[in-house]
Amino acid sequence: MGIQNTDRTLPTNRMIFDVRRDMALYNRFRQNPDPVMDQYKLSPAEKAAVKALDLATLSEMGVHPYFLPQLTRLFHGSADNHNASAALEAYYRSIVAREGVRGRNG
Amino acid sequence: MAEIVGAIALSHAPGMTGWLDKAKPEVQRNLLEGYRKLGRIVRDAKPDVIVGLANDHILNLPVDNTPDFCVGTADVWRGPGDWFKDWLKVPDYTVKGNRELARTLVREADKRGIKFAFSETLQFDDNFSVPLYYLTPDYDIPLVPIHMNCVMPPLPSPRHCFETGRAIAEIIRDHRPASERVLIMGTGGLAHDPGGPRYFEVNPEFDRWFLDLLATGDSERIINECTIEKMVAAGDGGTTELLAWIAAMGAVGDKPARTICYEAPPELRCGMGAVVWHPA
Repeated sequence: MGIQNTDRTLPTNRMIFDVRRDMALYNRFRQNPDPVMDQYKLSPAEKAAVKALDLATLSEMGVHPYFLPQLTRLFHGSADNHNASAALEAYYRSIVAREGVRGRNG
Repeated sequence: MAEIVGAIALSHAPGMTGWLDKAKPEVQRNLLEGYRKLGRIVRDAKPDVIVGLANDHILNLPVDNTPDFCVGTADVWRGPGDWFKDWLKVPDYTVKGNRELARTLVREADKRGIKFAFSETLQFDDNFSVPLYYLTPDYDIPLVPIHMNCVMPPLPSPRHCFETGRAIAEIIRDHRPASERVLIMGTGGLAHDPGGPRYFEVNPEFDRWFLDLLATGDSERIINECTIEKMVAAGDGGTTELLAWIAAMGAVGDKPARTICYEAPPELRCGMGAVVWHPA
């Protein structure tokens, strides 16, 4: 994983780019991500990983790293984005615990 | 000729406004004092306009067509972007732009072989919202934002960023009114790893090394030693935002940077610092 592994052509990257810029689209995504994912032509594997918030798999597919914590906020909200927030807990489960990295010191 | 009245750089991590209360009290105090001190430095320089360089965070520069630099040409800017309001917890703000200065940068850069994108519809997230909240809380100094591609490879090299910053300063000096006073501001960094396995960690060893390197004022050494690879190794998803600092340094050249404040709070998931280069 890493920024060098980004696949700019991956539909998920375009979708996350647009969703953050457009509150109407964000609200549609929040209500039901499936039609939005269809609109952006995500593959079945991408759709499954997005819905499961499987960030490690999305990273392997080429989603830009910066979009991964943003995806947790699209699902869990952005307010109070501290280390114990639901969004960061989801991030921790999907990336940090899975990588076997320790040192969560905040 | 217009005057570059100084250059500054500072971190813009969202926790600085969104959840600073989670950091240790002495860390909060040091950062707030540092950012207020930098705000006084900005005000004392009496700039008519701030030219800001910051990572775009893949918010405006599309994934299918990603320029290295995009100059904001609007008369007025509003922030933060709608989706970022809950995250940043800063009030909605309006700050004037400077269309003529922005257009001059694009037009004259073209003649130098530097192709800037330009836009009137840039959204601001933490990149400008956090610095403006602390440095110019009245939002009374116009801003020409320049959004940079700091994280979508291939990245502009440190040398290209430095030379672009130098070109920006030269264009301002050569093509703007003699009475105009311009402050250059770079925002981003220090080491952090959003989207990576070390997102919850900080890297004070790298941060101190970088701040000490800037203090040498030796731009050639800084460009050669602070490579993309070294920044990526220090924190993959975000440390290359320091390209914006290197671009700001380009505006002042071989001047040592003085550190105003530095902390590495894990609660903010980012090394936080601010520097000022001696007036150009």
